[in-house]
Amino acid sequence: MTDYDALVVGSGIAGMESALKLGDMGYKVLLVEKEASVGGRMILLSKVFPTLDCASCISTPKMAASIHHPNVTALTYTEVDGISRDGDGTFKATIRRKPRFVDEAACTGCQLCETACTVAVPDQFNADMVARRAAYIAFPQAVPKKAVLERAGTSPCTYTCPAGIKAHGYVSLIRSGEYEKAFQLVLEATPLVGTLGRACYAPCEGECTRGSLEGTLPIRRLKRFAADRHYQAIDGPGVEVAPANGKGVAVVGSGPAGLTAAWQLARRGYRVKIFEAAPVAGGFLRLAIPAYRLPAEVVDQDISNVTGIGVEIATDSPVTDLEALRRDGFDAVLVATGTPLSTSLNVPGEKLDGVVSGLQFLRATRLGSAADLTGKRVVVVGGGNVAMDAARTAVRMGATETTIAYRRGRQEMPAHKTEVDDAERDGVRFSFLMAPVEVVDDGSGKVTGLRCQRMALGKPDASGRRRPEPIKGSEFVLPCDTVLVAIGMAPEGSAFGGRCASNANGTLVADPATLQTGVPHVFAAGDVTTGASDITRAVGQGRRAAHMIDRWLRGEPLAGFEMDEALPVVDKTKVLTRQVGYTHSTAPESASGSTVKRDFAEIEAPMTEAEALAGSSDCLDCGVCSECQECVTACPSDAIHLDMREQIEEVSVGAVVVATGYKLFAADAKPEYGFGRYKNVITGMQMDRLLAPTRPYNTVLRPGDGKVPERIAFILCTGSRDETVGNPLCSRFCCMYSIKQNQLIMGALPLAEVTVHYMDIRAPGKRYDEFYESAKSMGATYVKGRVAKITEKDDGNLILRYEDIEHGGALVQAEYDMVVLAVGVQPNREVDRLFSGDDLALDVYDYVAEPNEDMDPGRTSIPGVFVAGAASGAKDITDSILHAGAAAAQVAAHLESLKVPA
Amino acid sequence: MSKQPASERRLGVYVCHCGGNISDYVDVQAVVDAVKDEPGVVVAKHTMFACSDAGQQEMEEDIAANDLDGLVVASCSPKLHVVTFRGVAKRSGMNPYEYNQANIREQCSWTHTDDPAGATSKAIGLVRGVIARTRLSEALEPLVVETTQKALIIGGGVAGLRAAIGLADIGLGVFLVEREAELGGWVGRFGPIYPHERNGHELISSLIEEARKRPAIKIFTGAEIVSKTGSFGNYAVGVRVATEPPQTIQIEVGSIIVATGFDSYRPADGEFGSGMDGVATLPEFKELIDAAAGAGLRYRGKPVRSLAYIYCVGSRQPDGNEYCSRFCCTATAHASIRVAELDPNVRQYHLYRDIRTYGAFELLYTQARKDGAIYVKFPDDAPPVVAADKSGGLTVTVRDLLSGDEELEIPVDLVVQVTGMVPRANTDLVGLLKLPLGKDGFFNEIHPKLRPVETMVDGVLIAGACQGPKSSAESVASGLAAVTQSASVLKKGSAELDPLVATVDPDACTWCGKCLDACPYGAIEQLSLNGREVATISVAGCKGCGGCVPVCPENAIDLRGYTDAQITAMIDGLLQEAIA
Repeated sequence: MTDYDALVVGSGIAGMESALKLGDMGYKVLLVEKEASVGGRMILLSKVFPTLDCASCISTPKMAASIHHPNVTALTYTEVDGISRDGDGTFKATIRRKPRFVDEAACTGCQLCETACTVAVPDQFNADMVARRAAYIAFPQAVPKKAVLERAGTSPCTYTCPAGIKAHGYVSLIRSGEYEKAFQLVLEATPLVGTLGRACYAPCEGECTRGSLEGTLPIRRLKRFAADRHYQAIDGPGVEVAPANGKGVAVVGSGPAGLTAAWQLARRGYRVKIFEAAPVAGGFLRLAIPAYRLPAEVVDQDISNVTGIGVEIATDSPVTDLEALRRDGFDAVLVATGTPLSTSLNVPGEKLDGVVSGLQFLRATRLGSAADLTGKRVVVVGGGNVAMDAARTAVRMGATETTIAYRRGRQEMPAHKTEVDDAERDGVRFSFLMAPVEVVDDGSGKVTGLRCQRMALGKPDASGRRRPEPIKGSEFVLPCDTVLVAIGMAPEGSAFGGRCASNANGTLVADPATLQTGVPHVFAAGDVTTGASDITRAVGQGRRAAHMIDRWLRGEPLAGFEMDEALPVVDKTKVLTRQVGYTHSTAPESASGSTVKRDFAEIEAPMTEAEALAGSSDCLDCGVCSECQECVTACPSDAIHLDMREQIEEVSVGAVVVATGYKLFAADAKPEYGFGRYKNVITGMQMDRLLAPTRPYNTVLRPGDGKVPERIAFILCTGSRDETVGNPLCSRFCCMYSIKQNQLIMGALPLAEVTVHYMDIRAPGKRYDEFYESAKSMGATYVKGRVAKITEKDDGNLILRYEDIEHGGALVQAEYDMVVLAVGVQPNREVDRLFSGDDLALDVYDYVAEPNEDMDPGRTSIPGVFVAGAASGAKDITDSILHAGAAAAQVAAHLESLKVPA
Repeated sequence: MSKQPASERRLGVYVCHCGGNISDYVDVQAVVDAVKDEPGVVVAKHTMFACSDAGQQEMEEDIAANDLDGLVVASCSPKLHVVTFRGVAKRSGMNPYEYNQANIREQCSWTHTDDPAGATSKAIGLVRGVIARTRLSEALEPLVVETTQKALIIGGGVAGLRAAIGLADIGLGVFLVEREAELGGWVGRFGPIYPHERNGHELISSLIEEARKRPAIKIFTGAEIVSKTGSFGNYAVGVRVATEPPQTIQIEVGSIIVATGFDSYRPADGEFGSGMDGVATLPEFKELIDAAAGAGLRYRGKPVRSLAYIYCVGSRQPDGNEYCSRFCCTATAHASIRVAELDPNVRQYHLYRDIRTYGAFELLYTQARKDGAIYVKFPDDAPPVVAADKSGGLTVTVRDLLSGDEELEIPVDLVVQVTGMVPRANTDLVGLLKLPLGKDGFFNEIHPKLRPVETMVDGVLIAGACQGPKSSAESVASGLAAVTQSASVLKKGSAELDPLVATVDPDACTWCGKCLDACPYGAIEQLSLNGREVATISVAGCKGCGGCVPVCPENAIDLRGYTDAQITAMIDGLLQEAIA
């Protein structure tokens, strides 16, 4: 016994017909459709020839029957991945139910998700003429009428964010004018919206697919824009938190990891207190990053998000005894103390007065206690971001000459390129390939210079960078008054009396996934456990720590749990090939960085709203869905589940019907007709949509400028009977659908002139020729001869150059408002991957072959596999119905033969 | 009109936009407003597509939530969706016959596109009428009939033979009745046929062999249908078989597949040279080609070195058959290729209007041209003229649009009239089966797009070229489609019939016999009941046409679903506004 008697692949008119007829005969049928609705292409048509029946009106009964029939199980949004034949003549089929991300049982088809969705993509059900949303119902008559969330994967920007911020999501919200929602979406991950909007190194921008075109989206600055808008209007986060759960967590350190963890925990109802050793909260945000990059007010605003939901921050409160915290009623402790120590140079003279660590210098500057450097020459040792910050701060503190000394070359510097460039713009000089060997003084302890040794780059070391090797006898003295040392940072590993184990480099030992230390209630996050990294990674660590602490305090297991189960990252080349055309909005460049002001005022100008809208509108929506969460919020029946994943099922069937239909010819493969370049050149399918009852513009108008066309030309045989595109076959129904459209246009636009350029009018069916004659008598003009070329005028009108065979064969030029290309049929190559084991034979034009089509229409090269409809070659609806009926008769005969005992 | 009495009924009324097909002309909100307070109306709404899944779901929910006992949808023709919405009622636990449809599309919006206000007011009347009818509707149960799991196939050509095998292979019994002494029809007479060069005789021989292997198939040749009674699922058919002496046997079948094929068009004398020496029709020419193997192409003993095909003889003619015969362009391209194979030096001129080698048949057209055939397109209004020339040959005069409308005089040995298909002349069978014919004389299907093998008569199907011109392979496909259609109703062994049939009140009936004459389906019989002669109506035979109802002088007949009371109420509802 098989699970089903027959598997029908494809629910176009042929697939539905075979499935329903087999069901009527009493066979159990599984009907599989890859799109979100059954119905195929027929449901999208305006009317059908030659009866002019409304296509949806005569399709919907069959569509409804397909899902209501007691013997037919219809699965939509489902692919057949592989079919193989068993020894007994039956088949095993692998069925992949693609995730709709919508609970079909709960969805009522109310379309609120569609209204809320912030991503627009071309609507394939309207021949790409208008947009639909990423959350969508295929079309108004969809069966079943259930929403789908289209997700191609995780967008690269979101996928790469170490902080777990849904970058694509806030970009799409800003594009939709939802600035506050954008801010709130970032808040879901971290309270440091303003901070990251300025000081993040934006790995998202490095991954932006647009980067391979004219440049990345300003993703970081868009976040800052959302933060600026929020803080202008609202104090505090503007969120609701869960009711207090009675448990307390102590967070040691108020840097980005500690603040983020505190925020996440407090929102879940925990009582959280942050202990900060410094006199101000914020860690490196306040004490290392210079104010011209990250103003104190911004950090304070971000911190007010945290304090605004009840987190207490105790400054000047170093923690030395973790057990005391436990006694004070904290159920868990997070250590997030960062890397406050500087690595020393280990050269003679390092203890001299004029030698200061870069970190100390930056901290003193921000606390207002730094020494004046006016007139001083400063050498900064190191090539990282702290070195850049120190050098640029030195410039601002009055140094007459600031030099960065680095032992390798520019390419090897760990600092971000923008930082290096900005330092250079500030007037900082760079001295590469030199290592300090001694700080030189004048004998009284006053620094006069730094003795250095020239280096050469040797073989790559463990970090992959070429190792600097000293050049003998190359020593010299770089004269200076102050040496700032910024060659590395380290945590205070011994701070907790060895209660938690430390690594050799001073970092705390914690499980990298759960962040739990050897002491179960103590977790460690951020640089204190990873070593020096950056703000964004620290935020990610803080977020992870909060999730883990929450799980631990709720008694849930930590191992095996993953925080952000993202879909795989989307393939950028697929994103680029998916685009039908690029629009690029340019907003005026902001004035930032154009003049160099050497003070501590913020350098980067805020984005204007116009810039933000232009910048966000360039987004290519790589993952399609942006994960902005708008639909999740909007759905009244909680039907949307972003964590749905595909399900693979295996079913056994007695027979298979391939009803995968056809593809339409891609009209841009005839470049002389300008499809894709000329806006008013459309395809026959697009014209059918313009004429359909569910038409996109509610009338026939040309897409270029919305003008109602007065002169419309049709070009038949576009992509058919044409060796130049490799298709010598006639596509069989284009003449007829064009004649139908001629009649419908003349009905809709009584004043329009319709001209058809044809080779032969092929109206070979019952009442077809009569239908052609009536189009002629209604006033359509039929001109025999091919169109050589179309050119577009400035006003969007189109000049056709063609041969008029019936009037002497002269070459003629004529002007039209709009041109319809009667595109034909191409084989649907998706059948190639359906079968494993046996090869489903195709004919020379790649349609499914029927080895004995004279007597056994619908039978293929594999016993038990049948083909119905246009998958075996171009057919109109009637012929597809007949063919599907014939296939069903053969399927039934095959199933009966299986019943006969061997 | 006086105020209508309150109603006990709980009706739901849905006015469909049909996506704009209706709402572009009819103000659907106004229709809802006008009827929402009608007696018995509990729910009144408009809906974008009542037939869509969502539309149906909404109605089902409303029926359950409001405990509705009657349903009205104002949308398209009931022909399209009465079954759909009966299904809605049924799934909601309502009797399906408590559903009625108002046609405000074909009968209103589409006919009054120039008068939205008038269309709206007419729609209101139509909907009121159907509401009134529904207030008086009653629950009916479908009639279940046992079906005979056998089918009759009329015609033993390629479509009928293949269909017989198809039915037998699904487990159904078959009677195959052929009028001629031999099975095989047209295809059996042909040599190689397009598109795969399979030999027509051989195809038919193998089909006959296959059919004879199957005990479920009973074949009668030289036989004809002489009577048909009964109804869908259970037809009794009289077949006159060629025994000596001929006798009529009765067979019982559940369905009938008509596959009576076509005749070839016979040109009138003088039509494109018809009757002249050297002029042949396409089937005659095919015989010449079939006979030419080895001997060369000859006509009446003379070798043929040049020939002209004149297309569309008997097809696409404003004063004759208006239809296109579909197969002839491809058949002629195929003939042309075969002639070139026999002798590549034969000059072949194709005088055509449009070459309709649709789909993959285009390859044959290309091949024919590659083989050297010359195609000449003549204007629709200037057909070629055939004349005898002095040398005893023929000259065809034609204007060639492909070379600047030049007039050509082509001397040829043979003119081939590319003749199309015409319906078979079998008036008796048409009358017997009561099948409607189209304007073109071929049998008419119930819906040309989606139901091409079904007819107005339930259980009687049409296959092959009797429905319209078809190639051999297309006839086979439609034969098998008819098999599927037969099996989909016979395989279960029983079928449900609409209970909307006429009933007689035996107390009122006086057996005057008027209804007997009015019934086109032979469903009325005389019955002795308690010593009185009265009429009785076979529920399986009655099609619910209502023809007997008005002729009854005693008003003894009523039609279920359309009772006199319902029709009167409908008229009142329709005219309410006009009278008020």
